[in-house]
Amino acid sequence: MAAVLPADAPVRQVQLSALVVMRLIKHSTQIFPTPATGCLVGMEQPKTATLEITNSFPFPASNPDNTASVTTSNPMDPYHQADQLALALAAPRAKGSVSYQNEMIKYLREVNVDAQGVGWYVSCSMGNFVNAAFVENQVFYQRATGEQSCVLVFDVGRSSQGSLNLKAYRLSKSFMEAHKEGKFTSESIQKSSLRYQDILIELPLKIHNSHLLTSYLHQLPNIPTTTDSLTLPTTIAEIHRNPSLASNPLTPNLDNLDLSIDPFLEKTLDQLLESIESHQTEQNNAQYYQRSLAREQAKVKTWKEKRASENVLRVQQKQTPLPEDEWTKLFKLPTEPSRLEAMLVGRQVEQYARQIDGFAGTVTGKMFGVRGGLVPGEGL
Amino acid sequence: MADDDSFLHLARPLNPATIASQPSTAPLTVTIQPQALFSILDHASRKPQDQDRVIGTLLGVRSEDGTEVEVRNCYAVPHTETTEQVEVDMDYQKHMLQLHLRANPKEILVGWYATSSELNTFSALIQNFYSQQGDGTWPHPAVHLTLSTVPGKDIESRTYISAPIGVTPERAADSCLFIPVPHEIKYGEAEKSGLEMIAGAKDREDRSQMLQVDVESLERAIEQVLELLNRVSNYVNEVLDEEAEPSSALGQFLMNTLSLAPKVEPADVERDFNNHVQDVLLVSYLANTIRTQIDLSNRLATAALTMGGEGAPSTAGTGDGQKSNQNQRRTAGRGQNRSGDQ
Repeated sequence: MAAVLPADAPVRQVQLSALVVMRLIKHSTQIFPTPATGCLVGMEQPKTATLEITNSFPFPASNPDNTASVTTSNPMDPYHQADQLALALAAPRAKGSVSYQNEMIKYLREVNVDAQGVGWYVSCSMGNFVNAAFVENQVFYQRATGEQSCVLVFDVGRSSQGSLNLKAYRLSKSFMEAHKEGKFTSESIQKSSLRYQDILIELPLKIHNSHLLTSYLHQLPNIPTTTDSLTLPTTIAEIHRNPSLASNPLTPNLDNLDLSIDPFLEKTLDQLLESIESHQTEQNNAQYYQRSLAREQAKVKTWKEKRASENVLRVQQKQTPLPEDEWTKLFKLPTEPSRLEAMLVGRQVEQYARQIDGFAGTVTGKMFGVRGGLVPGEGL
Repeated sequence: MADDDSFLHLARPLNPATIASQPSTAPLTVTIQPQALFSILDHASRKPQDQDRVIGTLLGVRSEDGTEVEVRNCYAVPHTETTEQVEVDMDYQKHMLQLHLRANPKEILVGWYATSSELNTFSALIQNFYSQQGDGTWPHPAVHLTLSTVPGKDIESRTYISAPIGVTPERAADSCLFIPVPHEIKYGEAEKSGLEMIAGAKDREDRSQMLQVDVESLERAIEQVLELLNRVSNYVNEVLDEEAEPSSALGQFLMNTLSLAPKVEPADVERDFNNHVQDVLLVSYLANTIRTQIDLSNRLATAALTMGGEGAPSTAGTGDGQKSNQNQRRTAGRGQNRSGDQ
């Protein structure tokens, strides 16, 4: 389970305006399958411990058309990324993006838009957002703006299946502290007893509309008819052509009644396989480290024994014994690889498992419904 | 929305000196994406107290021959308006355009918007500014979108293009003939799910809506379908009881719809159903097993190293040297006796 938000956290809920939702959707679906990244602005309401997000804008580096004008193309830049995908993922913390963000916020302030960056957003497909770049970006933001930042993850694949899939996350305090120390070796993990479930905290999300928008939404479907009687259509073609029936944007969205099982399972299983592969790589690295550590230690041991026996001889010959701890200068023990990636793989697999569970719940309900409808005489 | 059934299609005024290209005189059609509209509404709700209206720039794409314009994005431009003069911050507009072009090079300047539906001299001035050569949309006409935001009344949106008009050349700069053009707001497929959530908030007191889990939205969708079915069956019953007027078109439409239900053998349905249920449950079980496995291997990895590692039995014997080894010795008494296989 995801870590629970501590009761005294300054931000316990995230409130979005409809504008942010629409802009997120538009940006993410536009450059799918490249992940879309951008900045969120808003403000914090300390009284209700809510983080309000009122506007958003995309980062230039995340646009795949922008390879020519990308500002992080300087190889000397510490965040230089060679590949376009990595570039898009690293956009939130790249220097060029930070200056872009500052400029945008400065200009937006002049037109009364809330001028405080409160986080960033990223789009993903079928839940594959937990990776090192994601964590780095969020650490960058949480360090810069403290408690007020969060990341919004928009899942393009699952939203197209029916219901909007948008989640808000923060990194937990224990993870931030561990990251500050910079190393994720087994000892530090043991000391802090950090588990992969503790990395991310999910925040509940709420959509809030302004009065103007609400009145607009009310008038959208139809101006209510002025006539009392209903004029019935005379032909089927008339039914199809009637604009108020055909293209009403706010008709109930019944896409989530669609029964499509195999594609979802296939995609999730593909991603599970990828995660297993990266887990396997991590394990191999860890075992390689252990083997080389063992080899080095064996070498050190033999050297020490030799030195000790030499010293015994020298003592017998009344010579000064040689120092015994020169081995630290002669042998270099291998450094333990960071276990962060392994933890992230664990968290990602948990994300997939949860997705599948949720999917299994809804889809079995739908299947029983379909069966009840098609097989005559069953529980109607 | 303003009454948009009928439009008088006037020939689009051509700019002088467009010799090379073959400009068409068909008027413009404008499609607006909902997020641009929401952005304008948001901006309107933030306008400073002393101003009647706020303006901003519209960004979008234009078709090859210039007759179809799609408005995709917009941003606000600060301006001040008094009875005698109007000031628009030009630098701001240019700079913001540059910033937006950096993020989205395809979305170019296509026009401007204002949040009140009146058209006056100032509108003409600003319109001419946006249509000019250089920074403006020349040779294409600039689209002007007005959105009336009077509280209490319906929100009306209108789009116009302009042509120069004037009696004397001196007054040409601030005179404009605004020609209304048809526009529509297109909602894409992807935005439907977002719109549903947003619209769910419109019926509640505090205008807010928690984002729902899949199961809850499935429940909502089923309830809506049941309600629709109830209404239809009530109507059909009333027609049978001769209380409501029958309509052969409706009846035929209903029959067409109902005949879409497939006719399958119960045995086939059972078999497919069982297969699918088994698939889903198996994958769910598999995913959870993998999760447990990885969790276990991570824990064993960190635990195993405290024991000195299963691949390095010799290190357990050395008593000096590494500090970590000494630590491990102390914690070895924790009872984690498994030199587990990862």
